[in-house]
Amino acid sequence: MDKEPAEEVKEKEVLICRCEEVSLADIEAAIDEGFITVDDVKRRTRAGMGLCQGRTCGKQVALLISKRTGIPLEQLLPSTARSPVRPEKMGIFEGEPDA
Amino acid sequence: MISRQSFDAVILGAGIIGLASAYYLGLRGKKVLVLEAGGFGHGSSGACDDMILLQSKKPGINLQLSFKSLELYRQMVRDWADEELDFLNLGGMILIQTPEELTIMEEFVQQQRDNGLDVTILDKKEMKKYQPFVSDQFIASTYSSIDSQVSPFAVMRGYLRRIKQVGGLIRFYTPVKGIKRGSSGTWAVETRSGETVSSEVVVNAAGAWAGNIGHMVGEYIPITPKKGQLVITEKVPPVGKTNLWSARYMVTKLRPDLVQAEGSGNGIGLSFSFTRTGDGNYLIGSTREKAGYVKENSYEALQAVIRQAVDFIPTLRQVHFIRTIAGFRPATEDGLFILGEHADSPGFFTAAGHEGDGIALAPITGKILSEMVCGDSLGEELTQLSPNRFQPKEKIHG
Repeated sequence: MDKEPAEEVKEKEVLICRCEEVSLADIEAAIDEGFITVDDVKRRTRAGMGLCQGRTCGKQVALLISKRTGIPLEQLLPSTARSPVRPEKMGIFEGEPDA
Repeated sequence: MISRQSFDAVILGAGIIGLASAYYLGLRGKKVLVLEAGGFGHGSSGACDDMILLQSKKPGINLQLSFKSLELYRQMVRDWADEELDFLNLGGMILIQTPEELTIMEEFVQQQRDNGLDVTILDKKEMKKYQPFVSDQFIASTYSSIDSQVSPFAVMRGYLRRIKQVGGLIRFYTPVKGIKRGSSGTWAVETRSGETVSSEVVVNAAGAWAGNIGHMVGEYIPITPKKGQLVITEKVPPVGKTNLWSARYMVTKLRPDLVQAEGSGNGIGLSFSFTRTGDGNYLIGSTREKAGYVKENSYEALQAVIRQAVDFIPTLRQVHFIRTIAGFRPATEDGLFILGEHADSPGFFTAAGHEGDGIALAPITGKILSEMVCGDSLGEELTQLSPNRFQPKEKIHG
């Protein structure tokens, strides 16, 4: 069933990246501009640059790229993973032996 | 598929230097193609801090070009109303720890003042007015109101859009396999996927990889990667009024020989830089390591960078870090970047080797490159940057 225009607008405002408040419309605009990997969309929109580092939105971004471009999902690499695994206070290294 | 076969200029590398070059060539009416081995901001331009730092520049051509580059950034902010570039002019301070550093910095500041940079030395009390959270171990600082910053991603995206608007093409994930000079004097650039395009001009803007590109045409380009690791924090309210560096950052950058002679367990070239992005995250650095092209972050560097930050600004122990990054600073032997046409390869230009100054110097590099390609008459001082200043250690056959 076709959606009412008002609902359509709301859907576009759905936040895909909650940490950085990046909406579906923002992600789609980036894909349409030619940013078609998870890393490229991240660098354009900041989706995945927040506290959770894309753990929540990364897969959804990949799915959106796949749907919009036709690139098979399995060909879309996740964004590069780097330390830390979760946010940690910078005081954590005090009193720890040198690496 | 590349939709046309011949161009006025093919630019190799879509980092901030390559994109600036393509943008300014496009403004001059040149048909450009940018080929990038990776994706958007995958290289050093996407793994660095955001500084347009005037204080760190040696008096001379680097400082003079930085003034011009900052003016081009200010012009971009005015002209690109539809882009949010996160350009900020917060000023900068260099923290001084020891009387020896103070002596070196007083001399350096005087040289910079003689060269037109508005910078002063603050005593401890004055410093604390700007930086109430900084530890008591610092005895003084410099201050310059001119130091600024900009989002590298936003600038690159702005260049991308405008290159396309004037008909330029950009291909990501398109590494180059070979470059050959045809009989008619034009260059044939072959991609690894087997496409070949011809061009009057080739611009080597491959940053830390520029030497590899040079090798394809038999040119010796002595650029080596120096790895810089940084830590990114969560978004927090401002910690102090300006961005910060340590005097050691300056010494590491300007006199690497002194730091090496010192030893002091500093095999990773540790120094302090502290800058607040437009989004409210802090970028904390950094290291300068000879580590080849190994891009992983190391636990050793992470620990050293964070410990130093907490030592210098104790309140940071409460702040979370969320990410580490690493990028290769393309370093030359003499600390000056490379910009110009290779004498033995007419039409082949290099614009690379900016080490830690790529963001600051990108607009002026692109602008001068376009003027060189168009044959404008340029100042004699630019010969200092010529790629022909290096003597090859051995003859290279492309």
